[in-house]
Amino acid sequence: MADEKIKVEKDESTPIYKEWEAWARKGNFRVEGYQFIKAPCGPGKIEDAKVGDFMLVNRPHGALFTHSYGLVSKFFRGLIEKTLYGTRCPVCGTTYCPPRMHCWNPTCKVAETEWVELPLKGEVHTFSVMLFSADAFLEMLPFVLAYVQIEGSDTTIPMQVITAPTDIFVGQKVEIKFRDKRMGELMDMYAVPVKGQKIPENSCLNNPDYLKDMERDLQGTYAYLEKRFGMKKEDIEKRWKR
Amino acid sequence: MSRVAIVGGGIFRGDRFRYENAEEGVAIAFRDLMNDTPELDPQDIEFVMMSYFSDHLNQQLCMGWIIQDYLGLHRKPGYRVESGGSTPLDAIINAYYLIKSGYYDLVLVPGWEWMSEVDTATTNEFIASASDTDWDFTVGGYYNGYYACLETRHMQLYGETIEDLGKIAVKNHNNATHNPYSQWRSEHGTGYITLEDYYKDRIVAWPYRRMNCALISEGACCLLMASEKVAKKYSDTPMWFEGVGLGTDSMRPGDRLVDWAYHGVYPEDEKIYPDTVKKPKTPYPDMANFGSLREGAVTAYKEADIKNPVREIDLAEIFAPYDGVELTLYEDLKFCKRGEGKTMIREGIVERSGELPCQASGGLTSFAHPVGATSLMQSLFLYWQLSGRIPEKFGDSTLQIPDAEKALTTGHGGTGCQGGVIVYSR
Repeated sequence: MADEKIKVEKDESTPIYKEWEAWARKGNFRVEGYQFIKAPCGPGKIEDAKVGDFMLVNRPHGALFTHSYGLVSKFFRGLIEKTLYGTRCPVCGTTYCPPRMHCWNPTCKVAETEWVELPLKGEVHTFSVMLFSADAFLEMLPFVLAYVQIEGSDTTIPMQVITAPTDIFVGQKVEIKFRDKRMGELMDMYAVPVKGQKIPENSCLNNPDYLKDMERDLQGTYAYLEKRFGMKKEDIEKRWKR
Repeated sequence: MSRVAIVGGGIFRGDRFRYENAEEGVAIAFRDLMNDTPELDPQDIEFVMMSYFSDHLNQQLCMGWIIQDYLGLHRKPGYRVESGGSTPLDAIINAYYLIKSGYYDLVLVPGWEWMSEVDTATTNEFIASASDTDWDFTVGGYYNGYYACLETRHMQLYGETIEDLGKIAVKNHNNATHNPYSQWRSEHGTGYITLEDYYKDRIVAWPYRRMNCALISEGACCLLMASEKVAKKYSDTPMWFEGVGLGTDSMRPGDRLVDWAYHGVYPEDEKIYPDTVKKPKTPYPDMANFGSLREGAVTAYKEADIKNPVREIDLAEIFAPYDGVELTLYEDLKFCKRGEGKTMIREGIVERSGELPCQASGGLTSFAHPVGATSLMQSLFLYWQLSGRIPEKFGDSTLQIPDAEKALTTGHGGTGCQGGVIVYSR
């Protein structure tokens, strides 16, 4: 019996696109271009700089990571199946979303947790209005990044809230929605504000000067998106004007 | 046990692009150290404690071996310390432990970072891979976004304003115009900015504008650290370690609502929690404050016998990648009570002329932020401060804090996942 090994079984839910397999072999960190430049260099203060001659080389490198979600894989499978899971510690009762398979309460001695299904409701714990972001998310700008506490969970999980950037506030009630295309990552879900909520007087963003500056810089973001991606402001605003 | 001191330092100033490569930059900083420390024979160095953050940014693993070899120190024992933004402070503290424990008398701490080989967006992406890539990175956040969320929370709880964040930015940038090694001065010259300039600056992740965020830099720094036995050989003005402390907090800031490890540890801070906002299970640190830095401060203050930091410490160089971090750390470092960070800037306590000047160098938003070198640069600045050498080193006496005797510096990695504090004295 002891000799019988468990076989690894793998389905092909989404075969890796041909595009990425080829791309991962691209570059390999070989030199694909070079430039000669003159630039300031040398020790000391700014005014001590001298002119130096340098050569730059361009070395692209692709990679394709195949990553296991480990014991919390069920959570991500849940996203694909439009169900939200957390875990609960049977010892202290802490509920985790994001889930962890072992409780981090020192008194529970890394107890194994149990899966619980969570409602598609939550509350904004804190937020930022992103007017610039990392490359992969530029076309989603401008967006609200929020840490949302799912009802019944003791922790918060980051997600985008689809709302006018000036309407977000701490304590806002939100509903969790799933995108049509789901790949088993946090971006598969997003939040929308529950209708009919008033922005509280004491919301830290609720200040005419702040909102004015925000409007000004939103225009800058729209201009950037139009120039870089040909996107139109009206179309972008449709995301939350529904 | 031996006392430990910083007895010398050298700098290869940080800028957006430096075209010497990392080993050459470190060598230039090492030469600068030796020019300033004529008694130093490289053969005397017993250990090399290397400080650099990223392997991604230069597509080079084990860069430390290149550095040790390039400096001709490759026969010596040495290794690299890495803990995100806390890397350089943790390297200094590791060297401190080695000397304090009696293993070595003379340790070289070289630190560097070359951050501009990929474009800015990719640099931000690589840095953001220090966040939890399954749970934080994937939703379009990067550090600007995470830190903006933390500051929003603090702002909602304790009512600091955009003007407060602006005042911190103006203070730090204007300090940096007097620092001839600062990136802000290299890029923008010596003119002062005002709050009006700050308001015109573009918002990147509300509540942060560009000026509130750390620079991307390339640069290097070397510190020489010694035991009491040999310190005086190298420096007439050693800067002594009075106390050090390290701390950590959760990887994901979103988990800090039920931060069991901190539960009940700081009851006074849990009490100072406004009743207008729903209380998490562990209201300190929540997503508003930095528990790791509090842990570091408590340990360091105990060792240094600091009871009243504002009165006893003469200046602080805080590792604040964002201006809200500086404001929040006024509280976590016990300069004031939780929630009162805003009064420190409003009352000018942290200005150059104030009771506890913070970021006289300009800090991470204006001096420079080549990650692995940053705390070394800040500590070197303090070494010059405590020995009264700012006028000599800068050719400008504006930033010299008169008669400074005690100084504090901090380290800060991730979203406060890692923190550290050092108290120095002259």
